Amino acid sequence: MSVMAGVAPREPRRERLRRWWRGRLATPIDAPLPQRRLFLIPTRFGLGWAALVVVLLLFGINYQNNLAYGLAFWLFGVGVVALLRGWLNLLGVMPGLRLPREAFAGGEARLGVVLRARRPRMALELHCDGADAWLDIDEGVGEAELALPTPTRGSLALPWLRIETRWPLGLVRVVAWVSHDAELLVWPRPLEEEAPTARQGGADEDAGDFAGLRRFQPGDSPGQVAWKQWSRSGVLATKQFSAPPRRERWLDYDACRGDPERRLSVLCARVLAHHRAGERFGLRLPGLTLAQGEGDGQRRRALDALARFGPSTGEGAR
Amino acid sequence: MSAPRPASRPALSDKMAPFADGRRLDGSLLRQLFIGQCLVLALHLAWMPVWLLALALAVGGYRWQQWRRGWPRVGVVMRIAAVGALVLALRAHYGTLGSMDALIGLLLGVYLLKLLETQDRRDARVVVMIGLIATAVAFLHDQGIPMAAAALLAFAWLLQSLVRLAGGRDRRQAWREAAWLLALSAPLMALLFVTFPRLGPLWSMPRLDRASTGLSDQIAPGDIAELSRSAGRAFRARFEGPDPAPGERYWRVYTLSHFDGIRWSRATPEQLAATLERPVGAFVGVGARSPWQAPATARFRAELLLEPDSRPWRPSLGAPLATGQAQRYLADGTLEGLTALSSRGLLRLDSSGAAPAYPDPAGSRWHRLLPVQANPRTRALVERLWRESGGDPEAYLESMMARFGEASYRYTLSPPRLVGEDRVDDFLFDSQAGYCSHYASAAAVMARMAGIPARVVVGFLGGERHPDGYYTVRDYDAHAWVEVWREGGWQRLDPTAVIAPERIEQGPQAVEEGAEAFLADARFSALRLREVGWANRLRLGWERLEYRWQRGVIGFQRESRRSLLARLADGWRAAWAHLEAWLPGRGVLATTLGLAALLLMAAGVALLARLGAHRWRLQQDERRLVGALQAWLAGRGLAALPGESPAAHLRRIAPRAGPAGRALNDCADDLERLAYAPLEAPERAVRRRRLSRRVAEVRRRLPKPKPRRGGGGAGARETGVSS
Repeated sequence: MSVMAGVAPREPRRERLRRWWRGRLATPIDAPLPQRRLFLIPTRFGLGWAALVVVLLLFGINYQNNLAYGLAFWLFGVGVVALLRGWLNLLGVMPGLRLPREAFAGGEARLGVVLRARRPRMALELHCDGADAWLDIDEGVGEAELALPTPTRGSLALPWLRIETRWPLGLVRVVAWVSHDAELLVWPRPLEEEAPTARQGGADEDAGDFAGLRRFQPGDSPGQVAWKQWSRSGVLATKQFSAPPRRERWLDYDACRGDPERRLSVLCARVLAHHRAGERFGLRLPGLTLAQGEGDGQRRRALDALARFGPSTGEGAR
Repeated sequence: MSAPRPASRPALSDKMAPFADGRRLDGSLLRQLFIGQCLVLALHLAWMPVWLLALALAVGGYRWQQWRRGWPRVGVVMRIAAVGALVLALRAHYGTLGSMDALIGLLLGVYLLKLLETQDRRDARVVVMIGLIATAVAFLHDQGIPMAAAALLAFAWLLQSLVRLAGGRDRRQAWREAAWLLALSAPLMALLFVTFPRLGPLWSMPRLDRASTGLSDQIAPGDIAELSRSAGRAFRARFEGPDPAPGERYWRVYTLSHFDGIRWSRATPEQLAATLERPVGAFVGVGARSPWQAPATARFRAELLLEPDSRPWRPSLGAPLATGQAQRYLADGTLEGLTALSSRGLLRLDSSGAAPAYPDPAGSRWHRLLPVQANPRTRALVERLWRESGGDPEAYLESMMARFGEASYRYTLSPPRLVGEDRVDDFLFDSQAGYCSHYASAAAVMARMAGIPARVVVGFLGGERHPDGYYTVRDYDAHAWVEVWREGGWQRLDPTAVIAPERIEQGPQAVEEGAEAFLADARFSALRLREVGWANRLRLGWERLEYRWQRGVIGFQRESRRSLLARLADGWRAAWAHLEAWLPGRGVLATTLGLAALLLMAAGVALLARLGAHRWRLQQDERRLVGALQAWLAGRGLAALPGESPAAHLRRIAPRAGPAGRALNDCADDLERLAYAPLEAPERAVRRRRLSRRVAEVRRRLPKPKPRRGGGGAGARETGVSS
């Protein structure tokens, strides 16, 4: 991946050249891999195979042995056909990405890669930033997950995807680079506080009384959907409960201790805890206040705000 | 591009079931490699030391146990010790390591031992590569059809194991891919095989030396009878022009001109030059034409397919006159190659069909030399016959041959042994039973005693004519006869013809006496089944195939390549001329245009066929069919909503689709029934056909969308239909 490592020179000409070269090299995502973006690189075994053909040919010449000639030519032909079939194995594959829904710093993000093709394809290797996976395409689609390490919080620009195949004999590596501008927002690493704050007792453990139905909105928990109602009427509705008045919480950056990252981690853990408990909460960060809310939407908004916050915000994005 | 190798991640486990990305080979792949080794070894089986089989079993067994029971890996010391033991064993077996056989043994041994240290994909590929080399080396032993077929099997096996190594999931997939590779590359291989220029050897390589059967240099009495026990093939010959009559098929191989009283032996040109103190060039000439006799006297033109032999002899029907390549023409009227044949070779030969018509430069005295004391009774007989014929050599030779016919001589392949000092006496007067070399020897001695230059010629007589028109000459066709120098030319005398004329006409199998010796060493030869009709036909069919293979594939050398290419070029020219005559217009341009038009038409037909196949496939699959309809509807602004099922989509737009509405509803019904109802196959087919008709109806009847006005229906996706 020296292609991507060779960054940094400031001269506009070199920058332009680099951009041109990268454009020449890579295929945009969600497009079939075209002929001109497939690169054939012989492997060591392929070079050995070529040497073997030469050796067998010399053998045939020196011993005037026609079957050895035939074997040498057949090996040569097999090499050529393997090259062609390897190339066809990657040609026209349409890569697509499935970004992970959530990723915390210090863990790994499971980046889904979906490859589509009409013909079946064999033994495709995916490489991205040190992670790799191996998949076949059967019946038009093949999926694999790449475990990308996410060391730091913030917006993470994913490196290019490299798809390659050594099918069918391993003589040649057919490589395609896939460019994309997918960014991954890495949430802070959740950090549980040592002394858990005193939680209110089991007084209002029960979720509350049924209060009625409202129209289903995307994002509602499947557990809340009135499935019986749906089976009768065909209309999706969400059950609403009259939640007992809960203490509304404010998570405050200034109320935490420690360096900024630690504070963000603590806040992250609290957001998760409040969400699990089904509580309403709001978030106060320096320069940003998130109004109180609840549910998955609120959780996501809060965690995104934590991920984007502060000095390390600009680092991940290039 | 310093791409990290996929194998660089730590191995997941020792026994990974699929060889997806781990470094280690699992048991099934090791088994594949081992079977491949066994197949390659089988190619060498008849020529290699048998204990290599035990080595194969030991190595395979160890790896198996290692995989099954977790035996430890073989360490470096053990591996080095194993290679050392292999070298020592080969040395003990062959006496030297320098011979080609020992080198091949070393290759095979290392190939087997390599399995011990095969841990990852790279090692496995190295094993396969050595296997390919060993396959090619096996062609040094033999290039027949069975060998080629076995090698093809081994090659296919090695190829499919490479496919497995590259990520093939299962056996079927690997074999399918290997078959594709082999089939697609076969035309390329054939093209290269035909067009690649055939060069001479670039440098000399160690050769295999085989204990040769067939004629031997020094002919002791009994040698030729030994040959009659063997059914080995000596050579095959095809004549251009008339075939020789059975009595003319005397293939001269070499002459014996020195007699020591017991045995006849051969004097090579070098020996003659040393003995007679003359230059070697006086006894041998190198070239493509005989320096001794004008080629214009050639009667027969033959193409010989010679079997490999350690001696450079080339049989010739009578005196050799001209050959395709340079050969050594010996002054005694025989032919030698420049080198021995390590594999079968083709030889084009013009020959006279008769004994040489030129004197031997060794001189007539050389051909009259005899031990003075030996064989007194024969000498007395010769003197009597000479007197009776009045000193006329012709009459003398006639009466000598007649005596062989009159006396009670028997032709037998198992005569009593002669051990005395005067063996010719013993044979002529006491045992009176023998075969060709006995008679030839006695006749030559009798001629020399009368002062007539004579020599024994060893070669073959006869040969089996295959229905395809070529002759197969076998070891048991070996024969010996006499040539005497008469008035400016050598003359052939065959005393065997007097005693056993059926031997001359029909071959040694026709001789009844001592017949148990015939083919004694070839007990299971198909030749023993000559009398059984179908078996003989089978044998002849196989021989035909074999002959064509040897001549067309193995013997495909420089000349045959040139002639084949010339024939192909002629064929192409003829086809082009035919095309020019057939296509309208004149000249190259018109023809090219016509050809291009033809190609275009063919491409059009192919495209139509492809479209048809696509539609047929669509009709076979209702989901695809409806999917295509949905896509078509989407193109007219009637796309499905997200999450909407196809049937719901069709039903939703049906009320607004005007005349197509009913068809849309029917489509939805049919689709649902096909998808969910348990239907019998015939009904399913009926419904599918109906669905396909309905889809076509929808396409026909759906009203055309109103032409868009500027900004009028922008963004409204479902307003395109006049409702």
